[in-house]
Order: sequence, then structure tokens, then C-alpha cells
Amino acid sequence: MATLKKSDEEELIIAHKELAYQNEEKEKRAVELGIANKELAFQNEEKEKRAAELSIANKELLFQNEEKEKRAAELSIANKELLFQNEEKEKRAAELIIANEELAFQNEEKEKRAAELISANKELLAFTYISSHDLQEPLRKIQTFVSIILETENLSESGKYNFQRMQLAAGRMQLLIDDLLAFSRIATTELVFEKSELNVIIDEVRADLKDTILEKLATIDATEIGTANIIAFQFRQLMYNLISNALKFSNPEIPAHIIINSNITKGSKLHNKKLSPEKSYCHITVKDNGIGFEPQFSERIFEVFQKLHGKEVYAGTGIGLAIVKKIVENHNGLITATSELNKGAQFDIYIPAA
Amino acid sequence: MHEMITLNILLADDDKDDRQFFSMALDGINIPTKLETVVDGEKLMDYLSENRQQLPDVIFLDLNMPRKNGFECLTEIKLNQQLNQLQVVIFSTSFEQEVVNLLYHNGATYYIRKPSGFLQFKKIINHTVSLITQENRSKKSREDFVITLQGS
Repeated sequence: MATLKKSDEEELIIAHKELAYQNEEKEKRAVELGIANKELAFQNEEKEKRAAELSIANKELLFQNEEKEKRAAELSIANKELLFQNEEKEKRAAELIIANEELAFQNEEKEKRAAELISANKELLAFTYISSHDLQEPLRKIQTFVSIILETENLSESGKYNFQRMQLAAGRMQLLIDDLLAFSRIATTELVFEKSELNVIIDEVRADLKDTILEKLATIDATEIGTANIIAFQFRQLMYNLISNALKFSNPEIPAHIIINSNITKGSKLHNKKLSPEKSYCHITVKDNGIGFEPQFSERIFEVFQKLHGKEVYAGTGIGLAIVKKIVENHNGLITATSELNKGAQFDIYIPAA
Repeated sequence: MHEMITLNILLADDDKDDRQFFSMALDGINIPTKLETVVDGEKLMDYLSENRQQLPDVIFLDLNMPRKNGFECLTEIKLNQQLNQLQVVIFSTSFEQEVVNLLYHNGATYYIRKPSGFLQFKKIINHTVSLITQENRSKKSREDFVITLQGS
């Protein structure tokens, strides 16, 4: 080594220094690389984690996609179904329109028929009225001639008897004609409602029945009587029938006593299920002290031609109370009868108060 | 007993039988009467205008007559100043309350429904004729307008 030149030595030192420096640098690099390596390894790991997460998310998306496709397919089917149903509904609607038109037509036809029936009915009643009205005259002639014969001719006993029977039959025919007239009159006259004093009507009836009232020694009390919205002409007939009925079926042993009352009362206080509780009614009662009737007949007495006594005992056609009921019905009202045999009778009339 | 004045009656009725019944009925009563008859409403109005000076005391008027009915006659009589004091008794087979009210309103004196037996026929004519001879001419109440027989 001694032989080495100074320059060489210097060069060596330099080289050495250089090497040492390079070494140092390399070591620094190695350390840096190590750090970078670790960093890369960490980043790698992170990326793998992300990749795994993405893979999971992907799978999820794929699944959702599939589900959505399934839903879309289902919706498409449902859509088709709705479209079909819609079409069906339109068809039904069209059918219903046709059916509706048909019903409307039938309805119209029925109304026409009903109107025809009503007019035919009216015609029939008018016919009944006119024919009974015109039957009165020849019948009266027959009766008058029979009575002239009975009075003036010298008849045998059997001849007299036969003419008397003829007279009786003609009398019954007269009753029937009178009642038929009254019955048809109820349906043929116009229904004109007017506020009327019931007292006036009762007084008129009293005047018409004055002979019978005298004969039966009857008193009619009608003190608490008000006004009512009624078809006056028909109501007069109603009162006439009820009062003459009370006189006819009076108890022969005591003077007849008829009490008539009227007042306006709420349906709820009238104890009758057929009345509406919130409506007001004009409640009219006609009460007598006559022979009455058994309770089981309380409905039947209002039917046409229904009688409780033979014609030999009480003359009558069985139309009178039917007329009464018809008149009450024309007033949209209700009538009831309550009685017991030999205990008088009471008629209750309920008419909606205007 | 003082002498009774003869009551002049004019009957307007298209029915032959009813005119006969009426005349027979008058024969049986003890009030002196004189009866003239006409057979429809037109003849009645003619008679009244031809006999202005000797008008009847009372007219018995049927309602249902040809050419001119009883209503028309009553209205004409009551609207005529020379005739409206005449007493008019309506004498009809039918009995319609509305009609009776209208006739009362139109000024008829009485309403009689032709009865179905001759005895009643005589009674009611007798009763009416005596009412006509007795009464003053003041307006009757509605209650007395329709003449009926007691107990018939």
C-alpha cells in the first residue's frame, strides 16, 4: 500500500467517500422503498376491500334489477288485465244504457197504462154515477104508481101483499142507487182542499137529518170543533154518514147522544203506529151511545157491502162506512172504529194538518 | 072560516106522469088552487112573458127539462126585475148537495125532492102549498130550504 501514490490514495478516499455516500443514499432509498412498499401494500389491501364491497353492491344491484324486471313483467300483465276489464266495463256500460233505455220505455208504457186505467176507472165511475142518477126517475115512477094502486084500487089480500113486497124491493133498490151515487160521486169529484169550519159542516148535516134527530130524541154535542184543511163537500158526506149511522144504530131504550170533537195533535201523542210521530194531525172523534158492535168487526165494517145486521132489522146497503173510509183516504188520513156490543161506538179520524 | 084565496100555481115539468101526480096531489088538499102546466123551460119563460099581468103565485120548477133547464129558468127569473119576486119551488128527482146549495144561492124559495110514494107526494105538496100561502117572502134560512116530511 505504501507504494500507492498520493493521488491514488486521494482518489481512493474520494471513491470511498463516494461509495459511502452512495451506500447511504441506497439505504435511504431502501427505507423509502420500504415505506412506499408498505404504503402500496396498504393501498392494495384497501383496493381489495373496495373490490369486495363493489362486488357485493353489484350483486345487490343485479338482484334489484332482476326484481324490477319481474315487477315490470307483473305490471305489464296487470295492465293488460285492467285494459281488458276496462273494455268489459265499457261493454257493460253500453249494455246498461240499452237496458236503461228499455226500462225507461217500459216505465213510460206503464205510466201510459196507469193513466189509461185511471181514466177508464173514472169513466166507469162516471158511468155508474150517470146510470144510477138516471135510474132514480123510472124507479120513483114505479114506486109512485105502486102506491097509487095500493091506495086507490080494491085489491085482494094477496094482491095487496104482492104490491107491498114490490114496494119494499123498490125501496131497497132506491137505497142502493142512492149509495152507489154517493160512492161514485166521491171518486168523480175534484179534490179541492180548503180550510173549512167543521161546525158549519156539522150544522148542515144536522139540518139534513133533523127529522131523524127528532124521531130518535137525539142530541148532538159538537162544541170543541175547529177548522180543518179538507175537501168540504166530501167531508160533509163523511159527517152525514157517521152521524146518520150513529142515529140508525142508536139504543131504542135511551135517547141517542152523539159527541163530536176535534183538535190538532202531534202524531207521537196519538197512540197509533200508522201515524208519523213528527207530523201534526187533525183528530176528529165521533162517539155515540148506541148499540155498538163486537170488537172483531172493527175493520170489516169499513168494507163495501159488509153489514152486521139483516136487512129486515136495519135497512142499509153496506156502502156508507166504505164511503167514509174512501173519503178519509182521499184526505190521506186514517180512520179507526172502537166499540163493544151495547156500549156505543167511537170513530177516530186522523187527517194530516196542513 | 073566512074564504080562502085561490093559489095560482104554475108547474114546469116535462114528465107527463109527474104532471099527473102533481095534479092528483092538488086535488086532495083543502087549499083552493088553480094549476097551469108547461112542458119545458122555454115554454115556461114564454108563459111568463105572455102573462105579465097575471103572474102565478108560485112556480114549481123541475130541473131536468129539454130545451131550457130549471137552472136557466131560475137564473132568468131572478135576473128579471118584473119576475124576481116570484116564488120558485124546485121540484126534482135528484138530490145533489152542491146543486141544492147553488139553487139556494140563486134565489129559489124551497127545494123538494120528488118522493117515491104517492102518499108522501100528496103530503109534501100539501105542506109546501100551505107554507107558500102562510109565509112572508123573507129569505128562508138554509136549514129550512129543503122541505122534507117528518119521519119519512
